[in-house]
Amino acid sequence: MAFAGPVLLKRIPADPAQRKLYRWADYNATGGYEGLKKAQSMPPEDVIKLVIESGLRGRGGAGFPCGTKWTFLPKDVHPRYLAVNFDESEPGTFKDRYLIDHDPHVLLEGIAIAAYANRISTSYIYIRGEYHRQARVLEEAIAEAYAHGVFGGKHPGTDIIHNCYVHRGAGAYICGEETGLLESLEGKRGWPRIKPPFPAVAGAFAKPTIINNVETLSCLPAIALHGAAWFKSMGTPSSAGPKLFGVSGHVHRPGVFENELGIKMSVLIEKYAGGVKGGKYKAAIPGGVSMGILGTDQYDAALDFDIGKKYNVLGLGTAGVIVMNDQTDLVRALRNIVRFFAHESCGQCTPCREGTAWMHKILNRIVAGLGKPRDFDLLMEVAFSMGAMPGTTICGLADGANWAVRTFLQKFPEEFKARLKPQQVGGVNITPVAVAV
Amino acid sequence: MAWIVEDRLKPYSPTRSEPYLSPAIRRQVEEKYFPRYPNKRAALLPLFHIIMHEYGYIAPQAIDEAAEFLGLARAQVQDAVSFYEEFRLQPGGTCVINVCRSISCELLGYHAVLEKIRQTFGIDPGETTADHKITVLEVECLGACEQAPCALVNEELHGCLQPEEFVRRLQELSR
Ligand SMILES: Cc1cc2nc3c(=O)[nH]c(=O)nc-3n(C[C@H](O)[C@H](O)[C@H](O)COP(=O)(O)O)c2cc1C
Ligand code: SF4
Ligand code: FES
Repeated sequence: MAFAGPVLLKRIPADPAQRKLYRWADYNATGGYEGLKKAQSMPPEDVIKLVIESGLRGRGGAGFPCGTKWTFLPKDVHPRYLAVNFDESEPGTFKDRYLIDHDPHVLLEGIAIAAYANRISTSYIYIRGEYHRQARVLEEAIAEAYAHGVFGGKHPGTDIIHNCYVHRGAGAYICGEETGLLESLEGKRGWPRIKPPFPAVAGAFAKPTIINNVETLSCLPAIALHGAAWFKSMGTPSSAGPKLFGVSGHVHRPGVFENELGIKMSVLIEKYAGGVKGGKYKAAIPGGVSMGILGTDQYDAALDFDIGKKYNVLGLGTAGVIVMNDQTDLVRALRNIVRFFAHESCGQCTPCREGTAWMHKILNRIVAGLGKPRDFDLLMEVAFSMGAMPGTTICGLADGANWAVRTFLQKFPEEFKARLKPQQVGGVNITPVAVAV
Repeated sequence: MAWIVEDRLKPYSPTRSEPYLSPAIRRQVEEKYFPRYPNKRAALLPLFHIIMHEYGYIAPQAIDEAAEFLGLARAQVQDAVSFYEEFRLQPGGTCVINVCRSISCELLGYHAVLEKIRQTFGIDPGETTADHKITVLEVECLGACEQAPCALVNEELHGCLQPEEFVRRLQELSR
């Protein structure tokens, strides 16, 4: 493991006063588009091989090996699309925004490399609607890239013209799920699709489509330039490379920081984020609220793609760490998270639509002091019954809700149980259902 | 997304003689957006972003016009538009404030921001002041958690909110 210095954030200094937006000229003057030149000097198949060798895994949440995903495209079927996932709506996640705020061309160079390697006709950057400024920044950067021939021309040695556009979402978390994103791109409601067919075979407009996260693609210029061995020299054997970590919540200096995968959460919080604010460390969410929670004894958890197995959470997710101090009411925190899922569930699958709504109701009554002893098991039962992993739903949103609830209950049972008592009226046990919030 | 229930007791808004999809809007979509996609339907989101930007909300008549323009059934357009929370079907105030209520912002006091807005302007989330200047809404994570608590005022992000200072700023903005 060796992290010599920032890779993705190399143009974004830690001191806020020195940060600026890198436009075409600044980007080029600092080694920009060198990776693309290098990649275009290789046959496209070799670029794919290089990305596989580098061990680059998806930074959007699932951690799927990037180069391997590309090989799922059926041979010689065109046009092919690339959908860039810049929906970034998972609470606690803001790393992609931070990168694009200052260095939009690193993403565009990554897109150009992926498009060259995979013979893509059109790349759509799907950006969440609330990112008004970032959409403008990208539009301007794309115009510069067109003016300099990065987009709008043929891939060397083919007749395939490559275009790149911004497509704005409009306020729906579920459009970050890859097939929800595709539906939204096609002008429909963002309802995730039943798979198969997988997007690589029939994605956007029923054509072969690759979906990658902003940070994943932004790693490509450096990989093309410095090679797979260099990339793998950072991180751990299963989790190669540098990584952006967002830290928010109860810390002195919240923000986006870069280090290699496998860094200890305690180091991230203390060395980079200025330490825990307002009390001692109690719990943290490792990578967006879908991942569940790390307990008080898991402060030193290594943040890499193996975190799920080692620490009983769903995974690394988006690496958006949310820190909670010992003053935090975890019952309220969980209610907030479950409310998020209940609000954002697209409603197609009964276990997800009903499960999230009922868990929210139960947590509302616990917060209101009307929780019953059985509510603990009831929450657990509902949580375990929903998700694509038990196989009852179309997409992973329900898994996120499931993992959030089960890990809060498993790691902090006393905090919940202390709030539960038999609810009686005139000596008869009752179940309070409707609770005004 | 949220389940949006149409209030059928309210009368269908009166038809405007002037179209919402002005010739300029149509031209912009035809020239800029249609070439980007293999079909017209995919220009639906860009089109409604333009309508939102121009009018601040989406009138039923605009949905009719868009359906005709994109070659879709009205139901197809209504189905898509009503799914997205940013596409508001009711007019709001001059300043639309979207206060983030997700976890990092709750940990750092978004309640105090809402409470201050309630005290100052007398409105709860979902409401608009009588003078149509300010609408306050609650939204989920704005992707700016390092600036929690934060809010989007029209198209601009305001971060690290101090309730007192924020309402002063809102008073200026809505003047
Ligand atoms: C409910 C849900 C929301 C998601 N939101 C995002 C998102 O906002 N951004 C993102 O990059 N990936 C998101 N994902 C993951 C994508 O489905 C997909 O795995 C990812 O974009 C693939 O890119 P990668 O392999 O480069 O990570 C989400 C997944 C689910 C199930
Ligand atoms: S799991 Fe939930 S969000 Fe995903 S498709 Fe089903 S209902 Fe929609
Ligand atoms: S939780 Fe408020 S911006 Fe993310």
